[in-house]
Amino acid sequence: MRDREIDEILKQAAQAPHAVDPALLDRVARSIGSSLAPVRPLPPAWVLACGLVLVSVAVALAGAARLGLFGIQKLSLLQHALIFPVLGILICLAATAFVAEMIPGSRRLLAPGFLLGAASLALLAVFAVLFRDYRTDRFVSQGVACLTAGLLHAVPVALAAWLLLRRGFAVDSMAAGVVAGTLAGLAGVTMLELHCANFEAPHVMLWHTAVMPVCAAAGALLARFARR
Amino acid sequence: MQPASDLEMLMARYQRGDFAAATALIHRLSPQLHRFFVVQLASRGDADDLLQETWMRIHEVRHTYRAGQPVLPWLYAIARHIRVDHYRKALRTAAREEPLEEVPEVAAPLPAPSGATPDLEALLAPLPQSQREVIEMLKVSGMSLEEVARATSSSVGSVKQKAHRAYETLRERLSGARSMKARTGGLS
Repeated sequence: MRDREIDEILKQAAQAPHAVDPALLDRVARSIGSSLAPVRPLPPAWVLACGLVLVSVAVALAGAARLGLFGIQKLSLLQHALIFPVLGILICLAATAFVAEMIPGSRRLLAPGFLLGAASLALLAVFAVLFRDYRTDRFVSQGVACLTAGLLHAVPVALAAWLLLRRGFAVDSMAAGVVAGTLAGLAGVTMLELHCANFEAPHVMLWHTAVMPVCAAAGALLARFARR
Repeated sequence: MQPASDLEMLMARYQRGDFAAATALIHRLSPQLHRFFVVQLASRGDADDLLQETWMRIHEVRHTYRAGQPVLPWLYAIARHIRVDHYRKALRTAAREEPLEEVPEVAAPLPAPSGATPDLEALLAPLPQSQREVIEMLKVSGMSLEEVARATSSSVGSVKQKAHRAYETLRERLSGARSMKARTGGLS
């Protein structure tokens, strides 16, 4: 049997009339009519994405300025040129993906899991190339401090994303939670890169990068609870 | 099937608070939405409830539709969400209920014999839910691959793959039904 024959059978089946109770439709129309008022459509997707990028960058800069811009002062030109453009691209991608998640029927360019995995791998690769000091002095104490600072600075971005999400409608709340967490985590990592002057490779690769998956997991968990 | 620009125009008027446009959308799109729910193996009663719930949600989030974008992916994305939510609630309810000691086996219905108009629900019944919804959107609602990908939050490649697998299953089933009919026709 050829595809064309199956097409024909499906076409015939689809043409069979499918009636819906007119009383039901009238009831639906009446309930909608009772609360019908003009609404202001959402702004274009690029405006929402730019807003999220600005919030993320502002939170990272403000946080690092408050704690001290020690990291950026100590970074070499090559490290500047690689780390911040990569973080900028990832923040733009995450913001765009988040806006797609909050508008039903949007084109999904990146699956949330893929975005998180690709962003983590990209950061790990950049850090592995740029940092060659493999000492692990005060690995846990300094690491926990950085992870905590990163997570704390991710919170305002996550809140901004949540406020924006309330204006939209996420048909897949878990996916929206993961993407919002990834975006917030990236803001936290950016703050750490501006602030932290500990350039030991294990420290940067583990504790700085970990901010992102931890935030994404928290986003997924919160979305799961919110759905219930 | 509706001309896309017509639906977009009605949707824009609905957002501006035009009741006639809202009613027109409800009457035009409800049959295909209702069929979408019935094809997902919902009973007609459940499909009525799901349809009503879908329109209420559409009304609540109508501001998320953006002018110039296709209406159907937006609408079906919301309908899918309502269906999945309903399915989850049903699962939770079922988990609290005591099961019957013996569940009677129900055979999947065979497609109607050639000559008669085939029944869409029976035809798509053997397919997994993800493939069934893709075929329903592509072949019944007349959406493009890109639109189905938007409605299901997946990629065009994934939609193509599901459609391909669905056709494989349908081919197997329809060929089987055809050869069975030929055999029984030969005996009589």
